[in-house]
Parts: sequence; structure tokens; C-alpha cells
Amino acid sequence: MSQLTAEDIIQPHWWEKSLVGLFLGLTLSYLLVGLFAWYGPGGIDAEFKVQFNMWMVSPLWLSIVAFTFMFKTAGQAFRTLFFLNSVAFGVFVFLRWVI
Amino acid sequence: MKIRGDIIRTYQSIHTWTGIIAGLVLFIGFYAGSLTLFKPAIQQWATPSTQKLQQLELEQLNSLVQQAVKGFDKAKQGFILDFYANSSPMKWYEKGGGRGLRLDDELVHASLNQQGEIVTYQAQENELASLIDQLHRTAGIIGKVGHDDLGVLILGIAAALYFLAIISGVIFLLPTLVKSFFALRTDKSTRRFWLDSHNLVGMISLPFHIIIALSAFVFAFHDPIYDGLSVAYGDKPLFERRASSTQVYDINKLPEIQQYLKKIREVAPDYELERLTFTKLSKANPSLAIELQASDQMMRGGYSDVVYMHPYTMEIEYSSVFNEDSGAYGPIVSSFFSLHFGNYAGTFGRWIYFLLGLSGAFLFYSGNLLWIEKRRVKQPEQKTSCRVIAALTVGVCLGSVLGVVVSMLASKWIYLYLQQANSYYLYCYYSTFFLAIVYCLRRGPAVGAIHVLRALSLTCFAIPLTSLLSLSLTAPGTTQLFNYADYTIDLMALLFAGGFYFCARKTRVRALTGEKNSVWAMNNSRQAEPVSVTELNTATPVNSVVPANYASSTATERSS
Repeated sequence: MSQLTAEDIIQPHWWEKSLVGLFLGLTLSYLLVGLFAWYGPGGIDAEFKVQFNMWMVSPLWLSIVAFTFMFKTAGQAFRTLFFLNSVAFGVFVFLRWVI
Repeated sequence: MKIRGDIIRTYQSIHTWTGIIAGLVLFIGFYAGSLTLFKPAIQQWATPSTQKLQQLELEQLNSLVQQAVKGFDKAKQGFILDFYANSSPMKWYEKGGGRGLRLDDELVHASLNQQGEIVTYQAQENELASLIDQLHRTAGIIGKVGHDDLGVLILGIAAALYFLAIISGVIFLLPTLVKSFFALRTDKSTRRFWLDSHNLVGMISLPFHIIIALSAFVFAFHDPIYDGLSVAYGDKPLFERRASSTQVYDINKLPEIQQYLKKIREVAPDYELERLTFTKLSKANPSLAIELQASDQMMRGGYSDVVYMHPYTMEIEYSSVFNEDSGAYGPIVSSFFSLHFGNYAGTFGRWIYFLLGLSGAFLFYSGNLLWIEKRRVKQPEQKTSCRVIAALTVGVCLGSVLGVVVSMLASKWIYLYLQQANSYYLYCYYSTFFLAIVYCLRRGPAVGAIHVLRALSLTCFAIPLTSLLSLSLTAPGTTQLFNYADYTIDLMALLFAGGFYFCARKTRVRALTGEKNSVWAMNNSRQAEPVSVTELNTATPVNSVVPANYASSTATERSS
């Protein structure tokens, strides 16, 4: 642990990280659940699946918020979550409307 | 397990601040939730025996229903058939009815006499158990936002913070987990003891806490989450709309009760029928809700599964009783509810959940104590923040429990003189609650804790006494007011009276002989307090007896 330099240490960035986690975490959760809703087992019409999907949003969201504080800086958190959102959004759009 | 120091420090901060923000409301949510597990039993306990009519044989029900819908307009709209052994066989709402909690609903109870003629009795429903449930869901916070309770939303946010607290607590406990998991060091310091027990209880009940945190969050925010989800669904509607019908049926075409019973046995052979609720019978959208219970199933509702049926065509519209063809999602969703409600393992399971709920309340209480202890300074006068948090922890937590216990104690006395008790429960609860908070802020956390704990012990002790007395009490002009065979609630009250007495003693010993430089010490900086209290009282001499009382009570505290 002693070899951690000042640049390696996690910066608190409480408000920034919280906001990144809350907003980008929510969109990412919806994208993941959306993918599961359309392409997960049973497809979009499976009985009771919409309730299951609704239930899945919060655990994903709150977990992402919890682990956002692992990022060294708020900027890094933003870039990573933004990238993941873009990928998930790209896959979602591609699967739903392109093919 | 090794974790970097900066990660540990980060998550320690998260744990501390989410905990201190959400702890107090969660304490109320948890202990009231523990009581809510026994909602039917509490309602049974609080309802006067005079407000129940003779339960009937299944064969007699049809005659009862026919006489009721012929003779009573409100019964034509809808009615309830109850199959509990000690409840009236039939009820309908003379006033109110439908979803949500109202305190002035008027219920008509109906049964048959020896000659097979209908007899009725109108009374206001006892809502003590529902009010405790409401307290569980809102932490007693009044107000509405749209059609949601403000308290529910606040508890939802608290649940999210609580989830963060759980995750962060586990993360920063991991490095020392193996070493200190089962360690309960009583020899080191008081702080060590509280910390060890906080960690032990938290880790043992971790799955329970994750479930409760997530489900409470979803219960509070399911509507907006669905709204967001509808974006991902695009043009696809989330729920299929039922085709609206315009056909109105004649109440006389209602099938015989035995036909429903037969159909229910086919649909849910392993379940026991609890209640049939017929609503909107003279409208175009009539409905029958069938509540079914099994002690070994994960049930969708708090105390039952439910099947919705068209009361005239007997077509099943929705069912939370699943079979092999139901697919996976229905049962999984039901399990989320069931895991929150603790209804899947009968009475034994409820007692386990009761203990888990109380241990959760203990987590928040001990968490606050640790927060205060960590900020302790080596001088008699502690920081204002610590004194206020300490007083609030004691005042809010114990005050809320005292409010409920006082309402339970008052219940039977109220029925002695009045027909209804519901609104008085609110007076009892809120006045006790706020009085306790003011008292703890005023007298300081140490004195406050001791006195409120004593009050709790006494009130709890008075509950079984009242029940004993009530066996011989009679309301004016009627027979015995309370008459029941289940003394569990009274026995529990007695047990808790002992528990609170023990805590009061321990707290007092600590206040007098424990660490002097602490908010919990009684005999140093706090000594200045009685003087200021007397000054305040002489400034506004409302009642000359009050300052004398203050003076004498504080004098005995100091001398003992």
C-alpha cells in the first residue's frame, strides 16, 4: 500500500461522482434492462416479464452508484460510464431498428 | 483480504454519512415493520369482541348473502365474506371502502341468528394494525405528493442510502472480516463492544438487508421506474389494457357461494380460503378478489395470494397462484414481494423476520451511537452536533416506540368509553413521539434515554395488566368488551417491559459510573441543565408545581 503515489489515490469528488452515478447509472441500467426485455429469455411478451424488468432496474442502478466511488476521479467515472452507455445504446439501436 | 487504504477510507465516509442521514427513519420503518408482520393478530387483539358476529357454516353463507343483498342497498354494491374463525362472516362498507387507509370507514357486520334470519351490527373498523403498517411504510411522516405518501418517498430515498450503506459497510469491513466477524469483545471498551455487535448483526443478516433495501426502494418508486421503462419498450404498451365492458349484471344473477368455493378449489387446491371481496357489483366492471393463504408458499401479498375473478362469469382475470405453465417471471416477481413480507414459512418464519426486523432497528441505533462515540472529545462538554444527534437518536427511536406502545395501552381504555378508537391512536402516537423528542433535547440524551426507557418499560407492563382487567370490563349495556384466547401480544409486551427495564438500568449505570467525557454521562456538564430549566419555568410560571417536580427529580438523580 505504501507504493501508492498521490496521483493513484482515489479523489473524493463526492458530488460529481454521485451525479455521474445517479444519471449515467440510471440510463445504463435502463439500457441493460431494455436489452434483456427484448432479447432476454421469453422475449418482450413473456407473462409477468415487464414486472421482472421493472424490478431489475433498481439493483443495477444502485449498484452502479455504489461502485462509482471506486473511480479515481469523477472525470474517469464519467468517461467510463459514458462509454458503456454509448456501447449499450449502440447495441440496443442496432438490434431494434437496424436488423 | 487486502483492500487499498484509500478505498476503505472512501467507503467508510459513504457508510458514515448515508447511515447518519437515513438511520432514524429506517429505525422506525424496521421496528414498525416487525410489528406489521403480525398485523392480523394485532387487529384481532385490538378489536372489541362486541364488534364481531357469529361465524357460520359454509352452507349457511348463501342464505346470508341473499338476505343481505335483498335488504341492504350498500351490500348490493359489494361485500366481504371472511372465513377466519373469529371474524364476522359477512361485512360491507356503509361508508368508505376501497384501497387506502381511512380512519372513519363504517363497516356493517352481518350474520344469521338461530332462526336463520339476518342480524347486523354497524361499527367503525379498528385501524390500529393498519396505522402501525402505515407507520412502517411512512415512518409517520404525514403529507402527500401527488397520489403518493410523502413518507413513502422519503423512506424510498432512505432505502437507497441504506443500500449504499450496506455495500460500503461490507467493503470496508472485508479486510478485518475473518479476524473480527465473530469477535464480540466485551473487555476492551464500550465502543469496541458496540462496533463488534453492529458488525456481527449486520453481517449475519446481510441477505435480509439487501432484500429489504432494494424492495423498499422499488415499493416507493415503481411508478416512475415503469415510466422510464416504457421508453425502452417503445410503441409496445407495458400492460395490456383490459377490454372495457358496458354490460351491467343483475345482482340476483350472482352465482351461489358454493360455486365459487368449488372453482377456487380447482384453481388453488393447496391453499386455504381467507376472504372473498366483491366490489362494484352493480357497475360495468364488477370484481371479485379472492385471498388465499398457504403457509409454505411465497405469496404475492402480505398475508395471502390473490386471484381476481369476474364475479358473474367466474372468469379468472389475474392470479398470483402459479402452476407449471406459468413461466418463470411470475413466481420470481412474487418472490421479491414475499421475501420482503416474510410470508413463506408460516408463523415460525414470521418470528424469524420479526427478530431480523428488530436487529435491523438495532443496526441503525448502534450505528448512530458509534457515530457519536467516534466524535467524542476528551472533555465533559461534547460537541453540539454529537449532543443533538444523541438526543435525536434516543428521542426519535425510543419516542416512536413509546408512541406505539402508548396507543396499544390506550386502545382498550378508549373502547370502554367510546365506539371508535382510530383518531385517538393518532393523538396518542404523535403527542408521545414529539414529547419524547423535546424531552430528550431538553434534558440531554443521558437523562432522556433513562426516562424514556423507564416509561417504555412501565407502559409495556401496563398492557398485559389492562388485558387482564379488560376480561372483567363491560361496556355500558353490552356484554364482555374483550374476550379472546390469544395472549401472545400481552406476553410479548411483558417480555419487552423486562427488556426496556434492563436497558434503562444499564444506561443509568453508564451515565453515573461510565466514561465521564461522553454525551451519555449524567453528572458533570448536565448538572448545569436543571438550573436553566428552573429559570425557564420561573420565567413563565404556568404551574408552580412543575419547577418543584423538576428540582426534586434532578436532586435524586444527582444524589444517587
